[in-house]
Amino acid sequence: MDAATLDFLVSALRIATPLLFAALGGILSERAGVFAVGLEGMMLAGAFGAAIAAFITGSAMLGLVASLACGACLAGVVAIVTVRFGAEQMVTGLAANIFAIGLTSFLLRSTVGRGQAPVIQVPLLQAWPIPGLADLPWIGPLLFQQPPLTYLALGITVPMFYFLMRSQAGLTLRAVGENPQAAYAIGGDPVAIRIWAVLAGGAIAGLGGAVLALQQIGTFTDAMTSGRGYLALAAIIVGRWMPFGTLVACLVFGAAEALYLRVQTIGLPISSYVVQMLPYIIAIVVLALMGRAARLPAAIGTAYDREAK
Amino acid sequence: MSEIAAGIAKASRWQVYIPASLRRAALAVLLALVCTGLLIVFSGKDPLVAYRAMLTGAFGSFDRIAVGLNKATPYILTGLGIALCFRARVINIGGEGQIAIGGLCASWVGIMLPLAHPVLAIGSALLASILGGMIWAGLAAAIHVGRRVHEVLVTLLLNFVALLIVGAALHGSLGEDGAGFPQSPLLPAEYWLPKLLKGTQLHYGILIAVVIAGLSHVFLWHTRYGFALRVFGSSRPAARYAGFSPAASTFTVMLLAGALAGLAGGIEVLGIHYRLIEGFSHGFGFNAVAIALLGALNPLAVVPAGLFFGFLETGALAMQRQVGVPSSLVTVIQGLTMLFVLAAMASANRKPGS
Repeated sequence: MDAATLDFLVSALRIATPLLFAALGGILSERAGVFAVGLEGMMLAGAFGAAIAAFITGSAMLGLVASLACGACLAGVVAIVTVRFGAEQMVTGLAANIFAIGLTSFLLRSTVGRGQAPVIQVPLLQAWPIPGLADLPWIGPLLFQQPPLTYLALGITVPMFYFLMRSQAGLTLRAVGENPQAAYAIGGDPVAIRIWAVLAGGAIAGLGGAVLALQQIGTFTDAMTSGRGYLALAAIIVGRWMPFGTLVACLVFGAAEALYLRVQTIGLPISSYVVQMLPYIIAIVVLALMGRAARLPAAIGTAYDREAK
Repeated sequence: MSEIAAGIAKASRWQVYIPASLRRAALAVLLALVCTGLLIVFSGKDPLVAYRAMLTGAFGSFDRIAVGLNKATPYILTGLGIALCFRARVINIGGEGQIAIGGLCASWVGIMLPLAHPVLAIGSALLASILGGMIWAGLAAAIHVGRRVHEVLVTLLLNFVALLIVGAALHGSLGEDGAGFPQSPLLPAEYWLPKLLKGTQLHYGILIAVVIAGLSHVFLWHTRYGFALRVFGSSRPAARYAGFSPAASTFTVMLLAGALAGLAGGIEVLGIHYRLIEGFSHGFGFNAVAIALLGALNPLAVVPAGLFFGFLETGALAMQRQVGVPSSLVTVIQGLTMLFVLAAMASANRKPGS
């Protein structure tokens, strides 16, 4: 492996990090039976919270807390409209995204900008080399010289897997997504579980926004997530609603975009636009190949009404 | 058999719902305006002053009204197609990509085909835009019907591919050399959509949109295709027993929606920009979903819903200039209206008899 390949892999991991947070958050919501189309808005809300809080307080830690809170707030709106009122989930997610784009842009101008678009700069989170491991050849620079949120993203994949697939609470959550009536019959409360799952998912997706604001770009600009939430949505499906599968899907999408960034410099004879299409085309092709095998949680998209039969 | 009867009864009962659903839409708009009024207060401005600036900004002069009508045109056209899809319970959020491909096809014809007669030129360019939109929507329908992939995901992902195809074309054969911005060269003047009123910016698009809204109304309520589509939307089993093919119904609505969105893209290019510009369709497709909902999926009501969004946007720019309230408030109003309409629609469906 040469330096260029290593650089490529590091870049793929860097691009996959925000996707991974959003996708893991989305898995929680979708496994409980609520489509996570609002991920884009939740990421954007998280990025906004992180950038503003870090800018005002000067603390990256408070920025992270704010990103969790802002992501969860928007998720709260989605939870009320979909779970409480039983509205069409996909379109609600879309509405939440539009709302988030408008609200963050408006608040940015009216709070710190005094009517104009302000320039807010926050210091980027620096890499935390892990002593000992960071000096390993190849693996060290790739996995152990990363900024903190990348460790966190990779780190929560494992507990997420154990929570969802191996714990009692995870089983109940999945039951709500498969058959809420049965989950209710065994003593779970589908409405409450769905609301909590959407809220937690929104908070984690908000962290994905914090990665963009605090670790990669260092500021907040209008609609800065630019479709990453939708790509995370595709990663969930390509990863078959499993944390590790989704991790792999995020890395593949990250690699595709890293390739796009390198097409011009290494002089590949393809249009950079075509390479940029790769993640979306991969997602469509994988979905089409999986066809019926892409089994969604059975009750996803349906409203649960205790009184209804 | 009773299921068929129930499905048909449900389909025809939709008609009774309409006034109630429009009342709900009006309430949703009102609630969204009140909420954003609170945001204006929060930003330290007087909401009444801001809303008054918005009103005069939208309707203050005939030119302003013309701009609002032009802005409403793609919204109405795309919203109509999406409303038809939603009626058949096919959720199409691919309007943005279909508009982009429509605009691409219209400009491609305009640049490659030197037609001297304006009627021929505009006709062939708009036809190309319609075909382009249909192909893009048909691709989504084929993946959805053939491979059972959820239509929301297919249409959503194809949006991104379409926008990138437009980008690739503008960096390739369609791009203007040395423009500094990804755009095509100016189309020949024969291809420019004429003005509806001389001396204003108002072009024929709004007329086309209103006529098509009328046709959609007739299609939906007075033809057997429209009836089949409504039965398909209200009860899948009823549609199956009645012998309507689900695949055919899905393709029909998707192709119709694609044709309308493509036409919207073509009209945008021929009527406003006179050239293809990267990102010209940005946000149209998602707003069209909001407009279809706001119009309660009712073709005739989609017209005022689209006009509302068009005038909201022109008014907001004036509000920003005069009062200093950021014009992104419009996006807040759009998102909130959608959320309120969704919640109101859903809670009404849950309580039968309301």
